[in-house]
Amino acid sequence: MPSESVLSATEVSKTVDGPDGRLTILDGVSLDVARGASLAIVGASGSGKTTLLGLLAGLDRPSTGSVTLAGQLLDTLDEEARARLRRRLVGFVFQSFHLLPALNAEENVMLPLELEGSSDAASRARDALARVGLDARRHHYPHQLSGGEQQRVALARAFVHGPEVLFADEPTGNLDQRTGAVVSDLLFALNREHGTTLVLVTHDVALAGRCERSLRLVDGRIDRLAAEGRGQALPAERAAGEGRA
Amino acid sequence: MKPLTFAARSLRREFFHGELATLFAALVLAVAALAAVATLASRVERAIVASAAELIGGDLGVSSSRALPPEFTAEAETLGLRHTELADFPSVVFVGDKSRLCDVRAAGRGFPLRGVLAVRDASGPEKNVHEPEAGSVYVDHEVLVALGVGVGASVQVGGREFRLAGEIVRSPDSGNVFRLAPRLVMNYADAESVGLMGPGSRVRHRLLVAGETASVDAFAAWAKPKLPAGAEITTVEDAQQNLRTAFERGESFLRLAALLAALLSGIAVALAAQRFAKRKTEEVALLKCLGASRGEIIAALTLEIALLALPACVIGLALGLGMQEVVIAFARDLLPGATPPLPLGPPLAAFAIGLAVLFGFALPPLLRLRDVEPMRVFRQDLDARPRRFDALYLLPFAVGGALIAIEAGNARLAVTLGAGFLIIALATWLLGFVLLRILRSGGKRLPGALRFGLANLARRRALSLLQAGALALSLTALAVLGVIAPSLLDRWRLELAPDTPNYFMINLQPEQRDSMQQRLAALGATNVGMLPLAVGKLVAINGVAPKADDFEDKRAANWINGEMRLSWSDTLPPANKLKLGRWFDGSETEPSLSVDTMWVDMFHLKLGDTLTLRVGERDITARVASIRGVNWDSFRVNFFLMLDPKTGETLPHSLVTSFHAPAGVSAQLGTLSRDFPNISLVDVNAILDRVRDIVDRVGRAAGWVLAFSVAAGVLVLLAALAATADERRFEIALLRTLGAHARQLSLAVLGEFVALGLLAGLIAAIGAAGIGIALAQGVFKLENYWPPAWPLLSLIAAAAALVAFAGWAGTLRIARTPPMAILRKA
Repeated sequence: MPSESVLSATEVSKTVDGPDGRLTILDGVSLDVARGASLAIVGASGSGKTTLLGLLAGLDRPSTGSVTLAGQLLDTLDEEARARLRRRLVGFVFQSFHLLPALNAEENVMLPLELEGSSDAASRARDALARVGLDARRHHYPHQLSGGEQQRVALARAFVHGPEVLFADEPTGNLDQRTGAVVSDLLFALNREHGTTLVLVTHDVALAGRCERSLRLVDGRIDRLAAEGRGQALPAERAAGEGRA
Repeated sequence: MKPLTFAARSLRREFFHGELATLFAALVLAVAALAAVATLASRVERAIVASAAELIGGDLGVSSSRALPPEFTAEAETLGLRHTELADFPSVVFVGDKSRLCDVRAAGRGFPLRGVLAVRDASGPEKNVHEPEAGSVYVDHEVLVALGVGVGASVQVGGREFRLAGEIVRSPDSGNVFRLAPRLVMNYADAESVGLMGPGSRVRHRLLVAGETASVDAFAAWAKPKLPAGAEITTVEDAQQNLRTAFERGESFLRLAALLAALLSGIAVALAAQRFAKRKTEEVALLKCLGASRGEIIAALTLEIALLALPACVIGLALGLGMQEVVIAFARDLLPGATPPLPLGPPLAAFAIGLAVLFGFALPPLLRLRDVEPMRVFRQDLDARPRRFDALYLLPFAVGGALIAIEAGNARLAVTLGAGFLIIALATWLLGFVLLRILRSGGKRLPGALRFGLANLARRRALSLLQAGALALSLTALAVLGVIAPSLLDRWRLELAPDTPNYFMINLQPEQRDSMQQRLAALGATNVGMLPLAVGKLVAINGVAPKADDFEDKRAANWINGEMRLSWSDTLPPANKLKLGRWFDGSETEPSLSVDTMWVDMFHLKLGDTLTLRVGERDITARVASIRGVNWDSFRVNFFLMLDPKTGETLPHSLVTSFHAPAGVSAQLGTLSRDFPNISLVDVNAILDRVRDIVDRVGRAAGWVLAFSVAAGVLVLLAALAATADERRFEIALLRTLGAHARQLSLAVLGEFVALGLLAGLIAAIGAAGIGIALAQGVFKLENYWPPAWPLLSLIAAAAALVAFAGWAGTLRIARTPPMAILRKA
């Protein structure tokens, strides 16, 4: 198992002000993810999975606690610096694909490369699309693609610039079982090929099971008892029970 | 990221999806309307000025009490202008023992440069001539009668014999009512050689020029800083108060129309941009998520808009210029005489204003996108941080305000429109806010579907208020253009009613009053007004002799150094309005005066001040008893100063008469001149025709602009409806899924839109009426204007119905779409 940590969170909490007073979404979450590892974050709706993913990716700031990504303490960076860090180090796959409707498949895949200022964006995007089996459809616009094809384009976009960490939010949540299986196979295959660290949010137990480790969130806290109660805790859940993954 | 590449790609794809096409169309319309109107207005104005130039005998005059330095004529020649010299002075003409004081005009070579000098020679027929040959003169009919001679006779001027070569029938300054002596035209060289223009003579010199508009403008610009003391530039507008007012009003009308079209387009742009920004929110969140910086995002969005704007402005410009060419081609008589060249300024200004409108109205919602949270990619209910006050939203107001200030070209028009629209926006916001509150609490008792529709309005409060505001402003603009402007034009035409006096008669003696009145009645003259006229000089104000330098208004010098005319009347004359004090009722115990407001301002007068006037050998000190506002465009005889009748009757005076003579009585009028040889008859038909002509042309040109404005108004309507279309589609699909039938959907949507239409319509009706009254009083100086209620209400009702219908029709289309298709897209 690789040992060097690429992503860590220390006592991360997130609170928001709602109509009924202050609401705690995440409460003292700590974790470590080693380079090249894969971690699944599972939990019921509203347990704080997506909020945690957003904090780990530097899309939002924690109310207390800190997050370190590739050795950079995110709290010390402003929004622009965090954006630059994401551009270099991070890839995303979303439940609802989030392809830009105005761009065709190839242009969507080119986007992270263009943000980096890459000069061979088009040829690398073509290669990435070929890898996900969509070479022939590179000039199609999102609305001309099926859900599975859109998510494959999103995968190509997520890996094309060789990110260190890939954040995936319910990547098969909007797909039927068969298509979902194809997409998840592709996701893990690409992950292996690129040696990317994967952080995956899902409530699909089977998908979570394909990750090396997994942690469960309940009401914004890492659930220690769940793992023990089920008696068949994944290694990651055990680690979660100890507060470290 | 390369923002330009990204922007170009996005534009390529998004152009055909709604908002950008609306933005594009709005911009094309704004630029087209501004370019067409401004260019057309400029050309019509130039053409009218050129044709009216015949009233002063040239395109431009420089008048001075001394002969102008030769560099003035040299410059005119350099610029390729035709030019001639004039000198006007009084002199007495003798034939034997008879004499007559004449207003002599010494005319240089080529006079008149514009217009017609027509004379009748001994053989009878009329012919158009230029300056008389050396040794001969032309005179008014009155001179022939006074001296008892005919054309061909010899007269003596300045001690030398001249041959009477013709009787003047028409001359370029025939509209000058207060030329107190009949005209004699002689050759300029003769006047010089006889010594009539030597030191001590009261000569007014004038250099007249005529030629290409650009050269005339260049000459005016060159001459202005070089004018000797006491010299001034005279244009047609300066020469005739009535014409100047007509020009100003006409220009204001056209500017008003173009401005409203541009503002309407601005509203459409703002609405479309709002929706565009809303749709772009997800994209911006994703780009941020992928690591795009704020700068890159804003650059890409701004560039996308710029890429859209440039072709839109070019197309708008081409369309606008093409349109005005079509108008000129179809309405050939819109431009009297030769078509003036295409001016460059107005089209360029339209182009620049188009860009300003786009960026001013579209940038605020787009720039707000920089605050979109990247977390929005996961949670779409996350809105950008709300701010209590966003200075960015002042930008459209600033651009709108600047647009009004620049384009109005008239402070009062700018303030009236600016304040009017601001008040309407605020009123809509306030009233809408209160109504939505009431709906929220009181709407519960309404039938289900209607309640749902109205609840929608209340729920989308910010959007509903924006929609209502945009609708109210655009309906107001349309009402001002479609109802208020035509009724103001009608009101203006009314000022020039068919029986508007077209002749003035001066020098009638009091004892001739009755017989003249009979003669006028016999030839069918109507609207006869007769007032006494005494000529005097202002000697003192509150006992102190006035000095021209003491008054900032330069016109004061004309009355301090020159003569002034006085009249009196038992009743307040028509076209006069008492502002302060009371009219004379015979109870005055001391000489009293009524003073026009212009004099009050010029000489800083107030009620109770005294003016000392010298009439003949007598000084009269009169107290200011009332202050009047005079409508100087009324084509009636008006006076700055009016004395109380008791004092007036004691002064030596003649009568001045204005009347309307029907067409075809010129022969009888000729007889009248022969039977009353002392009178001078002044024909103002030419000026009256010009003014009518301007009203007519402005009316027609404004009609063409209305077409643009209606198009812009429809675009605003579409943009306003589209603003909530996406949400409404989803709601309707949901209701459909839950089993709502078409009738219930229609009721819900109609409830929403009728409420919106009524709110906007009501405010627009009141707003347009208010703006109309303010425009009539402040800008167009039309007394007693009242906006027409029925057309205004009908227009508003129609607009409200159109809003409801458009909303309803859009909903029907959605209702026919299977709900699943819509829900899946959401």
